[in-house]
Amino acid sequence: MQVSGRKVAVVGMGGAFPTCKNLDDFNQKLFSNQSLIRSWDKASIFEKKIRSTVSGFITEEEMDLEIIPSSLLENYPETYVDKLNRIQPGNLATADVGSIWAMLGAMDAIKMAGWEDSETQSQQTGVVIGSGGAGHEVLRHAWHNFFEMGVKTRLVGSHAVDRAMVYRDAANVSCLIKSKGVCESIGSACATGLGNIGYAFRLIKFGIQDRVIAGGVEGTSLETFIGFDAMQVLSRGFSPEESSRPFDMNRNGFVCSFGAGIIALEEYASAKARGAKILGVIDDYFNNSDGDGDMFYPSFAGQQRLWKGLLTNDNRKPDVVKVHGTSTPAGDAIELLSVVDTLGKKDYHISAPKSQFGHMLGAAGSVEFITALLMLENQKVLPCLNSNNLNPELENFQKTANWQGPKEPLAAFRELMPQESFSKEINKIACLNYGFGGTNSAISISKGT
Amino acid sequence: MERQEIIDGLVEILGTVRTINPEKLKNVTEETDFISDLNTPSTEMINIAAKAEQKFGVEFDDDDIDDLGSKIKDIVDLIIATKERS
Repeated sequence: MQVSGRKVAVVGMGGAFPTCKNLDDFNQKLFSNQSLIRSWDKASIFEKKIRSTVSGFITEEEMDLEIIPSSLLENYPETYVDKLNRIQPGNLATADVGSIWAMLGAMDAIKMAGWEDSETQSQQTGVVIGSGGAGHEVLRHAWHNFFEMGVKTRLVGSHAVDRAMVYRDAANVSCLIKSKGVCESIGSACATGLGNIGYAFRLIKFGIQDRVIAGGVEGTSLETFIGFDAMQVLSRGFSPEESSRPFDMNRNGFVCSFGAGIIALEEYASAKARGAKILGVIDDYFNNSDGDGDMFYPSFAGQQRLWKGLLTNDNRKPDVVKVHGTSTPAGDAIELLSVVDTLGKKDYHISAPKSQFGHMLGAAGSVEFITALLMLENQKVLPCLNSNNLNPELENFQKTANWQGPKEPLAAFRELMPQESFSKEINKIACLNYGFGGTNSAISISKGT
Repeated sequence: MERQEIIDGLVEILGTVRTINPEKLKNVTEETDFISDLNTPSTEMINIAAKAEQKFGVEFDDDDIDDLGSKIKDIVDLIIATKERS
């Protein structure tokens, strides 16, 4: 049960962002309409065996990390070195690269929040962080060496499990900061990042925790990239910076990207009492499932129910809708029409951050939540980059007898989708993310006061 | 192979275990305890054993690893015994 009058504030944020040195760099690049997507040499060396070769990836060097290769196993990363000594070797020993990003993001978020050790290490502080994929790079080489090369299991060493387990990011962060409250991961494919934040919001709203470090991570992994490339769902045929093009007529898939978004949440009254800077207030979180038995195809009805749930307790129209907007042909059209069906054709704008950095999968929801916080802070709307041409014709599904949504083509909603960042008063933002399995998540946040 | 030669090799291995403070490796003797003296995380012991197998060209029995003590002399004894068996 929600505790009446109990509110949840965002008081810190951090993470790992492609091509960016830090959050300030990320902020500057986003609001100057830059793309963070590059050609990926790790993919392109496979030539015709791989379809897509663009990504918003992050290298170890860019995060000031160094891989220590195993002397026992071929290509196995034994551990990492933090060249800036931000994280101690004992914590690095149990982490894959995504967990290291989660720890760095958590450290930045806690520093911004201004929590004392006694607060961070409290029973009332939880950690809820998830990832879309497994610790692929660890598992791949561990398994290859055992199954194909015939080595004994002990040559894999004692850290294949902790560096690859489902909740490795949350576990590593909790061990680093020594929190004593809830430590869990929520997994909901590409809604994971927002799902973890939503769950963390509920932990505080329901009076179970006072503070939570929350978010999502997707460590750079060619293995992850290959899985989606095999599905033929990745963008191809454009220059890197033009590859992610949500809502554009010529979009042909998403850009598989990587990153981490970690935030610090705190019960609003306690944050205010200690004079914390309030980056935003979470108004509500709602999630549901399509219920149509389809693993992949988006559901207009599911998204209609999502909006209804989100607006149940607070039906103020958001100033910005931060969409999932992946740049896939079916997903974008259904999503835009469900937004318009709910909010109409005016008095708000649509922002698609994936147009700038691609689809960070398990990190998408949390990194995009951070972009929403930055929009609140800057009072600027982030663009739908590359949405150059919108379909002037009806989508095929709009022509069917069963279609219950808007009867206008996507081009009718041009005014909602800026192609460049611009300033306007922003008091409320709705964030949307969806995932395989027909899972839908929505959160609304307001400007902190 | 002399016992001191084995100890020197073990110290080299321990130097690659980043969770062990290198300062503690300056005066390693047969009586040095991995756990109480070097603060080696218990999870690292199997990694050290596997690296010792590689360095000294031996393959330990699983039972011997299960019974391995936590002092330097225990693993020196095991390396010598395993070499003699092979």
